[in-house]
Amino acid sequence: MDPQPEQVAYICGDCGGENTLKPGDVIQCRECGYRILYKKRTNRIVQYEAR
Amino acid sequence: MPRISVLDMPDVPNGQLPPHIQLQKTRVFCEKNAPTHTDYVQHHGSYTSMDVHESLIENFHNNFKVNVIRLTSDVIEFDMIGIDASLANAFRRILISELPTMAIEKVYFVNNTSVIPDEVLSHRLGLIPLDADPRLFEYISDESSSSSNERNTIVFKLNVFCKDNDKRISVKSNQLKWLPKGSQLNSETDGGGNEYTSFRCSQDSPEFSHKPIGLKHDDIIIAKLGPGQAIELEAHAVKGIGKTHAKWSPVSTAWYRMLPEIVLMKEIENEMAEKLVKKCPVNVFDIEDLGAGRKKAVVSNPRACTLCRECIRDEGWEERVSLRRVKNHFIFTIESTGSLPPEVLFTEAVKILEEKCEAVIHELSF
Amino acid sequence: MEEGLRENSRSFTFSLVNEDHTLANAVRFTLNQNPMVELCAYSIPHPSDNIVNIAIQSTDKSAKAVFNDGLQDLRSMCQIVRDSFDKSVNDFRAELQESSESKN
Repeated sequence: MDPQPEQVAYICGDCGGENTLKPGDVIQCRECGYRILYKKRTNRIVQYEAR
Repeated sequence: MPRISVLDMPDVPNGQLPPHIQLQKTRVFCEKNAPTHTDYVQHHGSYTSMDVHESLIENFHNNFKVNVIRLTSDVIEFDMIGIDASLANAFRRILISELPTMAIEKVYFVNNTSVIPDEVLSHRLGLIPLDADPRLFEYISDESSSSSNERNTIVFKLNVFCKDNDKRISVKSNQLKWLPKGSQLNSETDGGGNEYTSFRCSQDSPEFSHKPIGLKHDDIIIAKLGPGQAIELEAHAVKGIGKTHAKWSPVSTAWYRMLPEIVLMKEIENEMAEKLVKKCPVNVFDIEDLGAGRKKAVVSNPRACTLCRECIRDEGWEERVSLRRVKNHFIFTIESTGSLPPEVLFTEAVKILEEKCEAVIHELSF
Repeated sequence: MEEGLRENSRSFTFSLVNEDHTLANAVRFTLNQNPMVELCAYSIPHPSDNIVNIAIQSTDKSAKAVFNDGLQDLRSMCQIVRDSFDKSVNDFRAELQESSESKN
């Protein structure tokens, strides 16, 4: 299958619940209807210098 | 007129300095506005006209003394007598900035959903004192992680999760786990399977070290987590010196002061004596009973003097009390953060000064 | 590391890289005690560059030899400091040991 329509999980700004959305979905939290969703933190390993 | 030999005439040099010059040479006079005679006028010819010659090394060998006043596992307080300020300062500077220690340098985040940003958390981790003897480790040669091995890196892991229905928790330093076998993360480049560190033998084997490596203090709060938040990271500690970054300084601080000397120029009696004793906040003075109701002030504890100058602040007191410092008597205090005991720190600092001399001597021989 | 014209000249200015007041002031002190030294001084041209200039003028030997002597003196002074310190710490510990034993 085309790797593009993969499901990405977003976090609602209000209730903090997870919503998985596909491209083209309406941007709205499924539980509370809040329309601001945040992207989750990356899974890559980030390196920092302790300075 | 009685006949005196020429050599006994008062202004003929006889190998000794006149008392006032000797005083100016060896004491700093702390007067009301500023200290005077602070220079150390000492080159070999400075008193030749008085026929006073001194040889440095012999004098040093004979006159140098060390007295330890206090010694605990963290703090040492000792007196060094017969040394110059330039050497004492050199030791202090080396203790603060050129003695190596181990401290966390690279932090690899797998997950951080706490309210503390990544870089702030890394900075806090860097400042945590580690209980590892830096003499067992080497400096890491270059910045790339492929050169990390068991001889130059210490790896810690932190993995905390606050469950959704719990109250918030504090992440304390005892939750940093030491990984003696090296990093557990895999680098994503080069086709996977490449580890961040290549440990050839485990660090808790007896051939490496006799003491397990850990943190000096268990109760340092690193971060606080609310419900549902998690921190998962790996921290790599390497050897460094305080000059590069203060986290690598092995002392919380090291300082010295000169021995205070307080002299009463006139007899201070009765009421004046009571006043004087009350003025001093650290109880340098005390009353001595002379009998028949007469009292005299004496200097009972000059070492405690902090040079607040309260005793000479008022009118007329400056002629009665003379505050001085002995120029070649230093009271050194070293507070260690824990990687090495304080007396070892001082010995290492002296060794480093010797190494610096040797390096320059070596250069000179070309 | 060295700046100067002639090999065996009696006055020379040494330029040390990666050094600062720590070594320079200590060496200046030991050199000033040396009877063969006419002048000894150090300066740091700019604090951001890690360079120290040590100027030496001697009466007899070459300045290089005199600098060498000064460094050797400083090294022996350090060794004396180290030995005295170790001895004092051991004495202090022994005293503590004795006093705690006599209490028991």
